[in-house]
Amino acid sequence: MAPTFAHLNVTTAYSAHYGVSWPEELTAVAAAEGAQILGYTDRDGLYGMAKHLKACMAHNIAPVVGVNLAVAWDPSTTLDGKPLPAGRVTILAASAATAGYGAAKKLGAGYQALVRLISLAHRQLDHTDTPFVYVSQLAAAAQGGPDLFVLVGPETDVGVFMAQRKYPQGRSRLKLWKKALPNGSAQVEIVSHMALPTARLSTSQAVRMLRASTDLKLPAILTNAVRYATPDGAATADVVDAARALSSLDTLTDLQPNGQGWLKSGVAMHELAHEIVRDAGAGTAVAHELLDNTQRLAEACALNPEHDLGWGQPRVPEFDIIGIDGDPNTVLSQRARSGLAQRFAHLDLAGDTYDQVLDRLDHELGVIQNLGFSSYFLTVAEVVEMIEERNVRVSARGSGASSLVNYALRISHVDPIEHELIFERFLSQDRSTLPDIDIDVESARRHEIYHAIFERFGAERTTLMSMQNGYRIRGAVRDAGRALGLERDRVDHLAKKLWRFSAADFRQAMEHMPELQTFAEQVQNSRKSGNQQLDLLVDLTERLDRLPRHISMHPCGVILGDQTLLDRTPVEASGMGLAMSQFDKHDMDPMGMLKLDVLGVRMQSTIAYAIDEVARTTGETINLEHVPHDDAQTYAMIKTTHTLGCFQIESPGQRELIGKLEPESINDLIIDISLFRPGPMKSDMVRPFLDFRQQLAPAHYPHPQLKPILEETHGVTVFHEQLLRTFDEMTGCGLAAADEFRRRLGTDQQAEVETYFRAKAMENGWDIDVIDEVWHTVASFGSFGFCKAHGAAFAIPTFESAWLKTHHPAAFMAAVLEHDPGMYPQRLMVAEARRMGIEILPVDVNKSTTEMHLEWVPETQEAPEGRWGIRLSFNTVLGLTQNEMRRLERSQPFDSLADLRDRARLSKKSFEHLAQLGAIDSMLPATGASRTDLVHHLEFLHSATKRDRTGRTLRTGRPQVEGQQAFTLGDTELAMLPALFPQPTDEQKIRTELDLTAIDTTGHLMQSHQPYLDALGATTADQLLKLRNHTRVLVAGVRVATQTPPMRSGDRVVFISVDDGTGVVDASFFAQAQHATGDMLFSTRLMLIEGTTRRTGTRGITLQAIRAWDMHDPASLPDPDYWDTQRTHWAQWFAGAPQMPAPTVVHQSQLRQRVQSQRAQSQDVRTPVRYR
Amino acid sequence: MGTLTQSIHVTCTTAGIPLHLLYGGRSYTVKAEPQRWYVRRRWWAEEHRAEIGHGPGLVDYQVWRVQVGLARAKNAPVLTLDISHHVESGRWRLVQIHDALRLEETA
Repeated sequence: MAPTFAHLNVTTAYSAHYGVSWPEELTAVAAAEGAQILGYTDRDGLYGMAKHLKACMAHNIAPVVGVNLAVAWDPSTTLDGKPLPAGRVTILAASAATAGYGAAKKLGAGYQALVRLISLAHRQLDHTDTPFVYVSQLAAAAQGGPDLFVLVGPETDVGVFMAQRKYPQGRSRLKLWKKALPNGSAQVEIVSHMALPTARLSTSQAVRMLRASTDLKLPAILTNAVRYATPDGAATADVVDAARALSSLDTLTDLQPNGQGWLKSGVAMHELAHEIVRDAGAGTAVAHELLDNTQRLAEACALNPEHDLGWGQPRVPEFDIIGIDGDPNTVLSQRARSGLAQRFAHLDLAGDTYDQVLDRLDHELGVIQNLGFSSYFLTVAEVVEMIEERNVRVSARGSGASSLVNYALRISHVDPIEHELIFERFLSQDRSTLPDIDIDVESARRHEIYHAIFERFGAERTTLMSMQNGYRIRGAVRDAGRALGLERDRVDHLAKKLWRFSAADFRQAMEHMPELQTFAEQVQNSRKSGNQQLDLLVDLTERLDRLPRHISMHPCGVILGDQTLLDRTPVEASGMGLAMSQFDKHDMDPMGMLKLDVLGVRMQSTIAYAIDEVARTTGETINLEHVPHDDAQTYAMIKTTHTLGCFQIESPGQRELIGKLEPESINDLIIDISLFRPGPMKSDMVRPFLDFRQQLAPAHYPHPQLKPILEETHGVTVFHEQLLRTFDEMTGCGLAAADEFRRRLGTDQQAEVETYFRAKAMENGWDIDVIDEVWHTVASFGSFGFCKAHGAAFAIPTFESAWLKTHHPAAFMAAVLEHDPGMYPQRLMVAEARRMGIEILPVDVNKSTTEMHLEWVPETQEAPEGRWGIRLSFNTVLGLTQNEMRRLERSQPFDSLADLRDRARLSKKSFEHLAQLGAIDSMLPATGASRTDLVHHLEFLHSATKRDRTGRTLRTGRPQVEGQQAFTLGDTELAMLPALFPQPTDEQKIRTELDLTAIDTTGHLMQSHQPYLDALGATTADQLLKLRNHTRVLVAGVRVATQTPPMRSGDRVVFISVDDGTGVVDASFFAQAQHATGDMLFSTRLMLIEGTTRRTGTRGITLQAIRAWDMHDPASLPDPDYWDTQRTHWAQWFAGAPQMPAPTVVHQSQLRQRVQSQRAQSQDVRTPVRYR
Repeated sequence: MGTLTQSIHVTCTTAGIPLHLLYGGRSYTVKAEPQRWYVRRRWWAEEHRAEIGHGPGLVDYQVWRVQVGLARAKNAPVLTLDISHHVESGRWRLVQIHDALRLEETA
């Protein structure tokens, strides 16, 4: 049998910008080599540990867990009293079998010590923000069996001396390590990548390390300091090294000496041991000892995930912490019953109806108790109660709304009885994992709630969940470009064209996507001229695909545990300061962690803000829970499709669907939201539904017996609930089993589901045709479709936002601007407010605050009635600091420029920006000076070389440093400011506004293009609706949204929405139009689009694009007589002349499979597919 | 010390360690245990492609330092040579000759 080798120093991709191979890859390679033990030692954390453990268990390999940490010698032990960097060490956790159990019960002492040590390192960052520990801290953590083994290797100070051939220094430093660490903990790590004898990781360095270990009687072990699973990863490691150093490969100083850091075979490692020992001039016995030591250490550290770290054993807060006194089952039952009585106060509590409700509650409680989840529900209820006490809007999202228990405990606000929701869709006896209860709260107060949860359960039981942020195409191409030393602008320009395909598909996208044709040609041309850089750019970008870059706090996960939580997960500081676990959502179940989803939803903040603004300005108190859900005016507004700013129904696709569906009730909204999902859209569930709605076709039911189930959606299966009921009705399997079957649809077990369904339905006497038809629906429904509970939970905020937009438009739009709840840029919401007749008031130092607020606009001659307008907040001004804003707000009002200067203490830049924006216009001196005069005066004061405004040099002053506070602005100068310049034109104002606030306040930014567009004969958005179907038009506007939803055909259709000030035009670009538009499809902001109108309903019209131009590139734009020149083309087009079909463009998600199958086809018929 | 790269023919042991080499029409025998290391390449400047799965040999190449003597003249001076091995193609090249005595240029 070939010798095996236990690799103990193995870095995975989870060492951001260092490792390049996934734990699964490494484990697979090790398993193929017959390895029995495999280490995992990422830098600074255990980010990939759970994946490593999972992969090891799958391959029957014993996992070793450790970390690679920076270490420093304690200041007390150094000559100068400063910490002395000692390099990096690899630290391995001893197994519980070796070192016993720790203070926290059922947790290996080694693992526990490792976790605490990592958290400690993250609390003390060095000057480069790298976590580190002092040697004394490391030694303290390693006490015990020892609990930790420390590998002193080539990355330590000892290793560096040895690489520099300074043996005596290295040896004496190693002696210090031996003395500092507990007995048996220090191991000398011998590594050779067989680099040049003068370089690090050379055999001669290894030889010196080995010699020192013998001298000092320390055990030596062999590793390969693995950074990649196979030799192929070496180049990727070079690229991430460059990315880490923000450098090009050419200028990178610490490149790895060669590419030998891969997971070498047992044979190779044994040979390496002998080679090192031979070079050291020692006998083979030494090599055997080296290998034996390694194996022994590996065995001492081989973990049993269950025993060492409580794998798969959930830990929830202790009962007394949740506030449970006694049996949680009894407590839950009591709380649910009293909650239920309040929820159904309108029913006769002794009546039959209420009895039925109670029966359902008991059924749910029974399931929850059997699964042992009572304390989990009580925990969630506790959190929700805490949130409500703080007067924060809160509601459950997702399938949690299916549960009556959740409704009774006020976790959810959807009545599952009224909406006929099925508990089994949420939880059943057949599922043993904790259900997800997702709680939506106001986004603006999310951090406040997190702090409250930490306080309530204790910081030792609470931590935030993290998430990994991996390379996507744009980031990958930027870092690959920098590694190759390409010009930044050039790479940026390319990056903007890349649209959401996976970085690993770059080359295929390049060959296939129309917007990358010019780039593909560049690659080809430079290849021909012998320049390989662009080809390499593509290759290196693909190499970076998905590699983790950094972790950040997950948008909603809070982990709750018992008091051992911080012994089980290492934590580090999150962006908001609270502790964040190094584990992500995939690690929760295996690591036995309970996660609460508390998601900040901007719409909830928006609604709260709008209600507050209404109360502030009118004194009216709105309680949305009491607003009837059948308000006709609200649905009338929704049917106009002017739903920008509303929850869930503002996207281009939703506006189109709403135009067709014309919702008239909350149930319609639930259906609308449920239909607008990739699944239903793909499986064409929408059309039959709309046909019935528009009375084009009668409702169709497979069988009269199914009518009660499908009636609410006119025979179309829309909801999971309907699928479950249909399944149950026909097979009698029960709803819980039906949900298990549903989960298997779309997987490889679908065939078994079909067999069962057909057999059972036949047995129950259903007609074969009915069975066929229903199965067809079930199969095409697949695993997607939508849970009605989810739709219902969404429909309520949707209705509420639409109601506010209808009845309190100004307050609602102010709230939308303040909290930015949707998918569009702020400037579109300003345009929408303007379209609605709400005045947008520019930033004003005396009237603006740090929030968007309503302001009464008195009547004028043009507008005879007073009305509410929206005053833009200081936050819209780029570069204004929080302190400046606070001072401005606190010191208002200002009565003169001098007063503003003295009390607001603005930086020069901020003062200038506010002047440019007209925020100081109200205080301009009476000399008739304009804001331009003030800006020029300020610029003049701030320039290093003083010139008067005629251009004459006056004197050379001290150059002004940006951001410097005090500046000279004499009172007299200000009062006497002469009027030289006229007011800026509206166009100038708009340009300034866009530059400084990204919002065009004075007017719409398309205004300046109006003369050209008029000459061209372009159509505006508001005129579009009056045109007939299939009218050929030109529209122009600012891009506000780009979407490429998955299509049934697998092709890519690009939906681009532009706004021209009169409304939004939604244009769809099919293959032909994508080819005709080419390069600028995703990158340009101002677009001119030619297309034909397509009616989508009485109030809906969209554009089917033919081609588009970049308005920023005047040379490429059509001449004003464009329409005339196109006449013949038109005639042909109207006559329906056959056109050359454009090659299809596949959706980015389909790139790999589709392109490959096309290639195979094209080879068959020997006609290469060519585009262009 | 001379620097040149010329193709040479090398015979190895079963473990892949050079044993004999044929160069300039003469046969040499390896006299002492050869040393081996891997030297980095500036592959981003030298290669045209670096796609995933490009395989080994992109980032580094193998160099052996061998001490050889003429096979037929036992008393001839020992030469120290650096020879590189391209693992995929199995080709060997002479990279460097370390001794004062230069081989005659034959190519």
